Amino acid sequence: MSETATGRGWAAQDVRRELHSELLEINMGPQHPATHGVLRLLVRTDGEIVHGVTAHIGYLHRCAEKIAEGCDWRQWMVYTDRFDYLAPINMNFGYAVAVERMLGVQVPERAEHIRVICAELQRIASHLIAIGTFGLDMGAWTPLLYCFREREEILNILERLSGGRMLYNYFDIGGLRFDAYDGFERDVLAFVNIMEQKIPEYDTLLSYNKIFIERTADVGVIDLATCLAYGCTGPVLRGAGVPFDCRKDDPYSIYDRFEFDIPYGEGEQGTVGDCWDRYMVRMREMYESCRIIRQAVDALPGGPVKAEDLKKLVKVPQGSLYTRTESSKGEIGFHIFADGGSKPFRTKVRSPSFSNLHVIEKVGPGMMLSDLVATVGSLDIVLGEIDR
Amino acid sequence: MQVMTDLFARIFGDGLSPVGLLVAGGLTMALIMALVMASCAIVFTWAERKVAGFIQSRYGPMRVGRWHGVLQPVADMVKILGKEDIVPRDADKPLFLLAPFVIFIGSLMAWAAIPFAPGFIAADLDLGLFYIFAVSSAATIGILMAGWASNNKWSLYGAARGAAQAVSYEIPLALACIPVVMITGSLNMNDIVVAQQGGIWRWHFLHDPFLFVAFLLYFVASIAEVNRGPFDLPETESELVAGYHTEYTGMRFAFFFLAEYANLFLVSCVATAVFLGGWQPLFGPVFLPGLVFVIKAVLLVLLQMWLRWTLPRLRVDQLMHVCWKVMVPLALVCVLGAGIWMLATGQAG
Amino acid sequence: MEATAIHALLQSRFGDAVLDYVDGFEKGSLVAPGRVGEIAAFLRDDPALGFESLMCLTGLDWDGYDATGKGKSVDILGYDELGRPEASDRVGDGDLGVAYALYSPRHGHKHALYVRVPRAAPEVASTAGVWPTAAWHEREAWDLVGIRFAGHPDLKRILLDEAWEGHPLRKDYVMPGAWQGVPLDGRDYAACKWDESGVTLPDDVKRQDAATGPETGNQG
Repeated sequence: MSETATGRGWAAQDVRRELHSELLEINMGPQHPATHGVLRLLVRTDGEIVHGVTAHIGYLHRCAEKIAEGCDWRQWMVYTDRFDYLAPINMNFGYAVAVERMLGVQVPERAEHIRVICAELQRIASHLIAIGTFGLDMGAWTPLLYCFREREEILNILERLSGGRMLYNYFDIGGLRFDAYDGFERDVLAFVNIMEQKIPEYDTLLSYNKIFIERTADVGVIDLATCLAYGCTGPVLRGAGVPFDCRKDDPYSIYDRFEFDIPYGEGEQGTVGDCWDRYMVRMREMYESCRIIRQAVDALPGGPVKAEDLKKLVKVPQGSLYTRTESSKGEIGFHIFADGGSKPFRTKVRSPSFSNLHVIEKVGPGMMLSDLVATVGSLDIVLGEIDR
Repeated sequence: MQVMTDLFARIFGDGLSPVGLLVAGGLTMALIMALVMASCAIVFTWAERKVAGFIQSRYGPMRVGRWHGVLQPVADMVKILGKEDIVPRDADKPLFLLAPFVIFIGSLMAWAAIPFAPGFIAADLDLGLFYIFAVSSAATIGILMAGWASNNKWSLYGAARGAAQAVSYEIPLALACIPVVMITGSLNMNDIVVAQQGGIWRWHFLHDPFLFVAFLLYFVASIAEVNRGPFDLPETESELVAGYHTEYTGMRFAFFFLAEYANLFLVSCVATAVFLGGWQPLFGPVFLPGLVFVIKAVLLVLLQMWLRWTLPRLRVDQLMHVCWKVMVPLALVCVLGAGIWMLATGQAG
Repeated sequence: MEATAIHALLQSRFGDAVLDYVDGFEKGSLVAPGRVGEIAAFLRDDPALGFESLMCLTGLDWDGYDATGKGKSVDILGYDELGRPEASDRVGDGDLGVAYALYSPRHGHKHALYVRVPRAAPEVASTAGVWPTAAWHEREAWDLVGIRFAGHPDLKRILLDEAWEGHPLRKDYVMPGAWQGVPLDGRDYAACKWDESGVTLPDDVKRQDAATGPETGNQG
């Protein structure tokens, strides 16, 4: 609001003086429908144009890394669930792989296969939410409900598998807590068959909708250089046109045995690295996840699901290791410092959303308020892992 | 209103003076219109939720009232009226309290000129169509009042967007109706409907290609005019929380709600009267005129709901782009084209 | 490129600033805290190295670290069974440290940088100018471990409130008893008096109860 616009002393003031306007500081969040959790974006706007964005995080901070110092190695698995509460299996997977690498333990084949199946199911579930809520940010309600319909099937499978619907705590260091139930393969295959048919439905409803393309193409462009500088990973990096995926480029578990492609943004509707590209990477990744699941189910062997030579109280040898795995949001890394004891000396969680959100401060200025919402939505952040 | 005054005259005979008849008839019509508004809010909230449910492969309300949750809107109304009426501490109190009613009255007044059936019109004005556009734009003032008075930045955004949108889309809305006025040579709503007598081929939207385009323009602009998806920029729950009515609760919020659905029905009624033959049936003689009119309007409302639950939302600059660079020129072309068509077919008199 | 070769390259370039080669799971170089910035810039810009990606930046407290590998490091302080913060006479000693996990997308090799700074003056050169992503990670390291980063554009707390005292990931961190006037030590809130001006919390409700036996003062 300019001073002259308030009406005070209008006559006395030099009317010829150029009208100046101040930026409006406005809080988006912590209670706001488009911030995907308790995130507070302090936005400086001039009308509909955003001039600056500052992200204030920490509303969900529980200092899980401090808690880790008081838990033993296996116990902390429960807390990894709580990072990305939309893809807990992928968090479990990252932590399990990190600790197992330091232990040098060999995970049984059956456990590895079930892990991959679960992780890919979870990736689909997480992407479904990302796509649905992104549609919601664009004002399209219906895709969200369709996405939840399919996600429900995944949750049912994981519930029968682990007993939990949101936080599974199913992975264990050296394998799984318990074996899969009878008929697990059948359920998974049935779901994959349905899922592959449903994806074109989303494409018709949302992906190739004219208004949706207008809203997302050329919007919130994050190019490769920015991605590297700001440490963006996952669909954000792949949306910028690089087929980089830890499952292929820094392989862990048994991902090197499966055949799958890495979708990446090609600027099909606009610029490479725009919101549409990021969205479409997720959409196509669901296909690839289905492919991996099929192969893993076909190859699923029998046998134990726990590493047998592992004691109940794990002691990780002294040293430090940074291990990264590919979660649905990007690269989830655990930098673990062990002192040879039964408790982690220090575990740092490098969460993908943390870095992916940071970039909003860089790309936010200059876009419109609606585009800011679209960009935040296309980054697919989860505040649980940002704040930890 | 003629129907009402005649009715009272028959009941009371000479017991009422002409002025008394006028007052009694007017009050009765006002009551009926208010009831129509209230009931369309109630019916349409239920319909909206069922339509949304149908589109989203779920049920929608199923419990209250045994059959498909028919009493759900009643329960909602009772709940919403029982809520505390909160006025934010730093709000501009008089404006804040007044805004919902301004919006409500704007749409209530417009109902006066809707011809539901032959003679069943509250005010048979010669400038009926003009009057409707004039008074329904009063709602814009209400939106601005609500947004400003809430002393909430998001509300202010919603109000600014709402005002800009309403002012802009009124132009294609009115322009799209001009060809019809040219053909009938009247702004009287009754005359416009009567001119479409004689089956679906006589309805204005099939009069000539330009009028068909004009009808589509009117329909799109009317969705924007009532701030519904994909043009629900003033509310945009994902951007502006709830837009200009973020701070409202209880009864006052209910008035916004009421006005939204009343407006939805209003623009559909105008479309029905102006383009879709009003109470005229598809073919044959006039038959249950009021019912025919309402059915047509309700079908348009359902179409609007279908759009809302299917399409994403436009961005604010795209919204303005669509209006000023696409719809206004197209509407002008329609006006010109309809005029040429009239000249060519010898209808111009 | 192998980690040893990278280390040798760094050593030839920066001499004294590269202190030691760190072997183990994660191979890397221990470098001088004041010169991390220039080393980081070299690591990123040198075409043979090309560490354009900072995967992770970890701040940590080496206080009480058991170097023998038996896992006898100090226990962290928590809350006792009554919910009161545990206190200890032990004063923290030992260095603070920062670890950088680097990755080169061009060459596909990894390297780690380690830094150790004295507890009394924990200052490390910022790498936010080299990898912008470090800006938030460094803020987190300052917030949780209390390491200052010289040259950081906006070094303030990120996860905790600006007014928070102490750095929770230090091994000698004492848990707070109260935060902004709200006690955290497990008091019985139902027993507290309150009026319009706020809640009046009797200081030792729980502790008195614990001393005198079962709870008696519950006013509902």
